[in-house]
Amino acid sequence: MHKLSRSNRDKLQQFVAITGASDKNALQALKASDWQLEAAFDVFYSQPQPRSNGDMRRLEELYNRYKDPYSDMILAEGISVLCSDLQVEPQDIVTLVLSWHMNAATACEFSKEEFFGGLQALGVDSIGKLQEKLSFMRSELKDEQKFHEIYNFAFGWAKEKGQKSLALDTAIGMWQLLFAEREWPLVNHWCDFLQDHHNKAISKDTWAQLLEFARTVDPALSNYDAEGAWPYLIDEFVEYLYDKSVVEK
Amino acid sequence: MSNNQKKRNFQIEAFKHRVVVDPKYADKTWQILERAIHQIYNQDASGLSFEELYRNAYNMVLHKFGEKLYTGFIATMTGHLKEKAKLIEAAQGGAFLEELNKKWNEHNKALEMIRDILMYMDRTYIESSKKPHVHPMGLSLWRDNVVHSPKIHTRLLNTLLDLVHRERTGEVIDRGLVRNVTKMFMDLGESVYQDDFEKPFLEASSEFYKVESQEFIESCDCGDYLKKAEKRLTEEIDRVGHYLDAKSEDKITSVVEREMIANHMQRLVHMENSGLVNMLLNDKYEDLGRMYNLFRRVTNGLATVRDVMTSHLREMGKQLVTDPEKSKDPVEFVQRLLDERDKYDKIISTAFGNDKTFQNASNSSFEYFINLNARSPEFISLFVDDKLRKGLKGIADVDVEVILDKVMMLFRYLQEKDVFEKYYKQHLAKRLLSGKTVSDDAEKSLIVKLKTECGYQFTSKLEGMFTDMKTSEDTMRGFYGSHPELSEGPTLIVQVLTTGSWPTQPAVPCNLPAEVSVLCEKFRSYYLGTHTGRRLSWQTNMGTADIKAVFGKGQKHELNVSTFQMCVLMLFNNSDRLSYKEIEQATEIPAPDLKRCLQSLACVKGKNVIKKEPMSKDIGEDDLFVVNDKFASKFYKVKIGTVVAQKETEPEKQETRQRVEEDRKPQIEAAIVRIMKSRKILDHNNIIAEVTKQLQPRFLANPTEIKKRIESLIERDFLERDNTDRKLYRYLA
Repeated sequence: MHKLSRSNRDKLQQFVAITGASDKNALQALKASDWQLEAAFDVFYSQPQPRSNGDMRRLEELYNRYKDPYSDMILAEGISVLCSDLQVEPQDIVTLVLSWHMNAATACEFSKEEFFGGLQALGVDSIGKLQEKLSFMRSELKDEQKFHEIYNFAFGWAKEKGQKSLALDTAIGMWQLLFAEREWPLVNHWCDFLQDHHNKAISKDTWAQLLEFARTVDPALSNYDAEGAWPYLIDEFVEYLYDKSVVEK
Repeated sequence: MSNNQKKRNFQIEAFKHRVVVDPKYADKTWQILERAIHQIYNQDASGLSFEELYRNAYNMVLHKFGEKLYTGFIATMTGHLKEKAKLIEAAQGGAFLEELNKKWNEHNKALEMIRDILMYMDRTYIESSKKPHVHPMGLSLWRDNVVHSPKIHTRLLNTLLDLVHRERTGEVIDRGLVRNVTKMFMDLGESVYQDDFEKPFLEASSEFYKVESQEFIESCDCGDYLKKAEKRLTEEIDRVGHYLDAKSEDKITSVVEREMIANHMQRLVHMENSGLVNMLLNDKYEDLGRMYNLFRRVTNGLATVRDVMTSHLREMGKQLVTDPEKSKDPVEFVQRLLDERDKYDKIISTAFGNDKTFQNASNSSFEYFINLNARSPEFISLFVDDKLRKGLKGIADVDVEVILDKVMMLFRYLQEKDVFEKYYKQHLAKRLLSGKTVSDDAEKSLIVKLKTECGYQFTSKLEGMFTDMKTSEDTMRGFYGSHPELSEGPTLIVQVLTTGSWPTQPAVPCNLPAEVSVLCEKFRSYYLGTHTGRRLSWQTNMGTADIKAVFGKGQKHELNVSTFQMCVLMLFNNSDRLSYKEIEQATEIPAPDLKRCLQSLACVKGKNVIKKEPMSKDIGEDDLFVVNDKFASKFYKVKIGTVVAQKETEPEKQETRQRVEEDRKPQIEAAIVRIMKSRKILDHNNIIAEVTKQLQPRFLANPTEIKKRIESLIERDFLERDNTDRKLYRYLA
């Protein structure tokens, strides 16, 4: 065994805790990615995993518990059972985080691959273990980078299959949910504005740019740059704020 | 000498003894010369011998008494000059200057003679000792002892200034005398002229003109003031020519310019009832020209004039185009614009010497206010329409070109050229279809001008319209050629319009009378026989018909009506009385069009071929209609059709504007894609700038609209935002 530096040993421990991999595999992955944790995860998950039979069996059982009787997917019914097993509300944002880990294509359904992939990514194979991971998943929302990814993931996930844009009501719901985790003082005004003035679906660009806006522009709009290439909708929102005297010009 | 030395060279040897000059020699010689100088000054030189005096002076210098000669000369001359000074000081009044002048002339003559006498000294002793030469010395002595003598110095200056002042106030003075005195100053040295005369002269002049300009500006109007200023300027230049040194000209004119013009510039230009604005309004070419010539002499003079002209023009233009009264008649509106343009052209060429900066200021002002009225493009097209329908009748070709060129000038000012294009197309279509154009050549000429200005794309559809008309003629010939049996019965004339070239109109339903629809079907089969794969749809809202009608008292008239009107009228062949509902049912013409049609047939005085019950102005759903047997017109041919191009109603205007905005969207997108394709990556502000620039020949692109188009392109995956810099866009191949 090579001598590992302290930081590398920490990384190794972290890696094993999250992926549930063996030390040997963990080491392999970390070395292959030059001891970058994120990259190591990629490496690890892209390899076909030699899984212990026990793990796979348990995952199968779990999957079968929730899967829809008529199709090889977990649908809305199964998801609500899963939620009650986990003792969370279906609208709890942690389900979004879970879906993100699964890289679920769309809300209210999980394919078999998605289900398996997600649970493996979290390194769990039982409800109990998954339940333990819940607080960790919640904490991920506090991480700036992860929140960014989850937020952007949410657009594709929440919209209707085959649609390019996100229906307004759904978008508003998602925003309320997301900005409860990461405070943005203007979120309510934004939602009011959209309902009064816009009444159309939200495009991907607008969705993504809104997070930028919330992150970089202060609520008093002191550093709002009119030439800042913000989407038209956001420019209109700013006008709306001035008109309603929410903000002084 | 011995005889043997006959051939010896003749030698001269120096004196073997020293020659001693008589010590009194110098004094004696000097006395002679001194006396001569006295005599010269006393005008008593005739008895002197130049040769002798010269020789004496020569000898003195030769015997090394140059210094004595020099100092003696200075002392003697000084003494004389002091006396002269006293005489001059004693002179009273006008004689003072004359006395000075006289003495100066005398001194000069004397000095000349003395210099001649002392020439040898001048060239040898003075040369080597580097002292001032005789002549300059003589001048300096005059300057120091006469001109700068305390009792003369100030008095001289004041006398001169007083004379100048008097001349300025209208008196006649002895110019020659003053000339001599100023020349004297110049001879004494340029610095003497400047210090002892010119500087004080300029100051006094400045004071004088300060006062005078203040008086004038309180009492005169602008035109008069400028005349006076010009006069004073000319006078001063004249004055310099007569009795001042030429170098003073620029300086004195600067003074006049400063005091009379520069200091009062704003007040003059803005003077009520007589300033620049008044001059412009009343075409006062002479006054304007004068103002231009005077103001160009001072810094910012022309800029001031130009700025006031510009703001006046903009203000006036703004009022002109936003006045609802003036916008009632589009043709008049445009004519007013053309007249203003002509007016300012004339002003700039006549009074402002075709100054390019003024030309530019005028152009930018016109561009500014013409675009303040959003209907300008429509009105200009209507103006052209009016001219091409009737206005150019009987006008020579060359004049037609002039009018069209002027219209093109206005066209260039338009920012929304695409709006003009839309209207022009509509109006052209109406002209072509009603056969109402006065001159084909004029039409074609204008198209060529538009093509030159805006490129091929602008006019290709318009040219297509002309082609369609020509082709239709040929088609009609072919149709009647192959259907000789149709020469009896109603004559059908069809214009086949290619959909893309003509303004789009939705096809309106309409039931044609039987006689007509039979013919139409025959034509349709004929046409489709020779042109397979095409689709024809009758545009019943754009046609006309000539009908022969016989009224109750036997009056015969030929009525020129629209297709809708024809359908309505033909119904009365089978019924005497018809209700609105019956007409509506039979013709299937949509209600608004039908109402308009009935109104023009029943409610217009002189054209009411049918009568309406009740006799109200508007068409009601329960109205009844009969033929107006009492119809009378002094003309056999009566025109009732309503196909003339008119100023649009509000709703029509809104619709056209909307269509224009819709048309712009793809153009903006095309521009964005074009730019991004070549640049690959570009930031937001630059995209806006480039797109605006590309579209500027057609219309002024709105940055907000451009932004919306960019977002639309992002959604359709033509573009994406850069990951790190959100202001950067990338082209997606």
